[in-house]
Amino acid sequence: MDRRDFIKASAATGAMATLASCGNPENQLIRFIPEEPLFPGIATWKPSICSLCSAGCGLLVRVMDGEAQVVRNGQTGLLKMALAKKLEGNPDHPISRGKICARGQAAIQVTYHPDRIRQPLRRSGARGSGEFQEISWDEAMSEALSKLNGIASAEDRKTLGFLTRPLDGQREVLVSQFLEQFGAAPATTYEVFGESVLREANKRSFGYAQLPTFDLARARYVLSFGADFLGTWNSPVAHSVAYGEMRQGRPGVRAKFVQLEPRMSQTGANADEWVPIKPGTEGILALGLAHVILKSKLRTPSAAGKAGELIDGWSAGLSNYSPEAVATQTGIAPARIERLALEFAEHGPALAIIGGAPLAHTNGMFQALAVNALNALVGNLGKPGGLFFTPWPSIAVGSKAGRGLRDLAEEILSASKSPVQVLLLNDANPVFGSPPAWKVAEALSKIPYIISFGSFLDETSTLADLILPDHSFLESWLDDVPESGTSMSVASIAGPVMRPLHQTRSMPDVLIEIGQQLQRRLSLPWKNFEQMVRASVNVLPEELSSLEKIHEKGGWWSEAPMNQPNWVQTARRQTPASEAQFDGAPSDYPFHFLPYPSQAFLDGSLAHLPWLQELPDVISTAMWSSWVEINPKTAQDLKIAQGDIIAIKSGHGTLQAPALLSPGIAPDAVAMPIGQGHQNYTRYASGRGANPLSILSGMTEPETGAHAWAATRVRIEKLERVEQKSPLILFSGGMREHEETHR
Amino acid sequence: MRRSFIGTHKWKLGLVVVGALFAIVWSGGWDSLTGQSSKSDRTNDIFSPAHSSIAQAVSHFFGYQPRAEQPIAFPHNVHVGEVQLACVDCHISVERGPVASIPDIRTCWNCHAAPLKNSAEIDKLKTYYDKKQDIPWQRVWGWVDEAHVRFNHSPHIREGVECSTCHGNVSQMTVATRTMEHTMEFCVTCHRQKKAPDDCLTCHY
Repeated sequence: MDRRDFIKASAATGAMATLASCGNPENQLIRFIPEEPLFPGIATWKPSICSLCSAGCGLLVRVMDGEAQVVRNGQTGLLKMALAKKLEGNPDHPISRGKICARGQAAIQVTYHPDRIRQPLRRSGARGSGEFQEISWDEAMSEALSKLNGIASAEDRKTLGFLTRPLDGQREVLVSQFLEQFGAAPATTYEVFGESVLREANKRSFGYAQLPTFDLARARYVLSFGADFLGTWNSPVAHSVAYGEMRQGRPGVRAKFVQLEPRMSQTGANADEWVPIKPGTEGILALGLAHVILKSKLRTPSAAGKAGELIDGWSAGLSNYSPEAVATQTGIAPARIERLALEFAEHGPALAIIGGAPLAHTNGMFQALAVNALNALVGNLGKPGGLFFTPWPSIAVGSKAGRGLRDLAEEILSASKSPVQVLLLNDANPVFGSPPAWKVAEALSKIPYIISFGSFLDETSTLADLILPDHSFLESWLDDVPESGTSMSVASIAGPVMRPLHQTRSMPDVLIEIGQQLQRRLSLPWKNFEQMVRASVNVLPEELSSLEKIHEKGGWWSEAPMNQPNWVQTARRQTPASEAQFDGAPSDYPFHFLPYPSQAFLDGSLAHLPWLQELPDVISTAMWSSWVEINPKTAQDLKIAQGDIIAIKSGHGTLQAPALLSPGIAPDAVAMPIGQGHQNYTRYASGRGANPLSILSGMTEPETGAHAWAATRVRIEKLERVEQKSPLILFSGGMREHEETHR
Repeated sequence: MRRSFIGTHKWKLGLVVVGALFAIVWSGGWDSLTGQSSKSDRTNDIFSPAHSSIAQAVSHFFGYQPRAEQPIAFPHNVHVGEVQLACVDCHISVERGPVASIPDIRTCWNCHAAPLKNSAEIDKLKTYYDKKQDIPWQRVWGWVDEAHVRFNHSPHIREGVECSTCHGNVSQMTVATRTMEHTMEFCVTCHRQKKAPDDCLTCHY
């Protein structure tokens, strides 16, 4: 045989082999009949609202037909349907301005997540075992109704509890109405990073119980007290767009940005001047700056109006806050304090920002009031380059606060019979996020029956007895009135961009249906949630004929002046304590513990999205696990090398994580990103890293009861036996600057 | 005459071939040669670009496109000839976008909700519909991924190109078959005649 024949022979063999494989229909999944009109290959862009944080960025979603593997009537098959393919910022939306953050980009993975709950589940094993059986919606609804009918008598109605992440818009209206008509107490809202301290401070200083909006684009001097406003705090996308305009939008103007914090954050890395400051002393520094401004006669005390009156000693020129006194407390040199103060007063428009960890101290109220007074002193409220409050459109609703989670847990634990007999759980994970001292897991175990609406099993929802899975946000009717991020008045409205993939039902629709089918029928005036959201736009100042345009646009927005401030007449309060209290004596626990919301996971609720797991930390490039940031000199003193697994011990718990040497942190502090350390949160997040929230003390800000998550002290121990397996992984080589010694 | 390379080494080569076949069968079973997989590729949650069988890999390598075997012997001649349907009545997105689309069963059911004629094939249609399933039509026209061809129907329809120009006389066919090959020559010849763009990026991007 020669070469040519050999090749021909091989071809013949190959061809024979292929013939056997052609068109084998038995291997294909069945194809369901499409449920909607489809134009294959043609993409449309539909508006939506990102629901991963509270900023409420407007999205455009690219939708095109595709095949999804779904289950219908118990059969698995392929269904051709319009599918969301890509999320981008909506260029017209006043918050996102065409941009979107990494978390928003990853949000599409919520819809297609392989571990999403696809149909109702009933607990089949012990509570917390994670054993569930799939049941039909009919079975699930009849079980839920029988439980709720069981507590329908006059005394028992109060035993219905509703635990949820903070809701707004029509969802909030529906839940409040449902609970009120049922006869239960208002919902308990829980989130790791609440902003109740800042809202209360703004109410007192300016008359707006609302998060602030910053006109960065026209500012010339920005002084930020620990606020990660470009990364994770408040409205990061809106801030980032405006920051770009601040730096590059005006020819010849770069503005100056100063960040003060004990640990260099992603935002701080952009600063022109980065100033390390002792944790919990930010308010003292703010008053130190005010003292210099007043002493130099650059402003008078009365310029700060009401915000100034709230500070003891303000009208007398804050004599206790001389640069020398403030230097001792904050760790910043007197000359620097004087220079910063003069710069702030002389380079207008100037803006002071406080957010994140500085407000999460026991003196958070004082901190916020002090910075508010500083802003008021330079007169930037409502002025270009200054502080604004997003005007509420007439569609906005206020929320009635229910019991806080800490109080609720205490009530449950102290009673012999739990005051909550049936709990409805909506997208909150306090078992992961709340401090151990609050004993939330123990309290939940005393509740006889828990129904969860969440789409995923996490540490809290795994305790449920019945799961009625909600749609993902891309499959839901959405509405949002942003609290901050723009000086325009905005009401975002968006319908679902695709039909539900799985056998899920929208939580508001489930509540409406339950309301209609209870023995003691509720009189909720809405047929379904879509009708409710559509009707809500009727109060907007628009012709009814333009309402359809609202749906096309993704909402309504309009230039509007700020609402009038609401000065609630209250008795003159004492200025809150100026010094922060910490948990743990410095002799036993020498380090400040600075947990921070990670850019990828925020409070940990996004750790289940694989694209976010793949996102390296912006400053250190560390990823895939947890780490503890330590000052290199401290590490050297303790003989800790990069990557060594160490134990971090507080008065409430211990965790283990690898050490990351970072020059950007004070020698007496250690920091950890929040988000990993889930025991149970889908295949991508379970058993990965350590959870810094689990060792925090339960200290609170006394006036609002807000959790002071920055108030814990810890000590470091080297380990004999290492249990934590995850090593330190750096995407790139890591920082070289641990030789740098000057600060 | 001089002995060929293969002639010299035929025993060693033979051993190599047999060994390879053995390894293939060992690793994948006989099924892997014939292209039958016990589990559909689609139910595997882990994405892999590998082929499901050696046979599939080989046919892919040779650019062999098997003839489509349709689940229902759909007669175009009846529908286009007798019933006088236009192509675009069923292949609806051809004027709007890149893909002409094969209609889903709801299009057929618009007319065939009542059988209209005694026919085993129409009965098959009813069976699918009653089972709430779409008909698993097989692709007839297209290119392999390696050709890197991206084709958009709508500009061609806009320019007035008849469907039969590229798809043949479908009105005479029962099931659609490939009566011509869409080689690059086929496309470029017409593009040059009609003064349509013929640079590479028109189709390869």
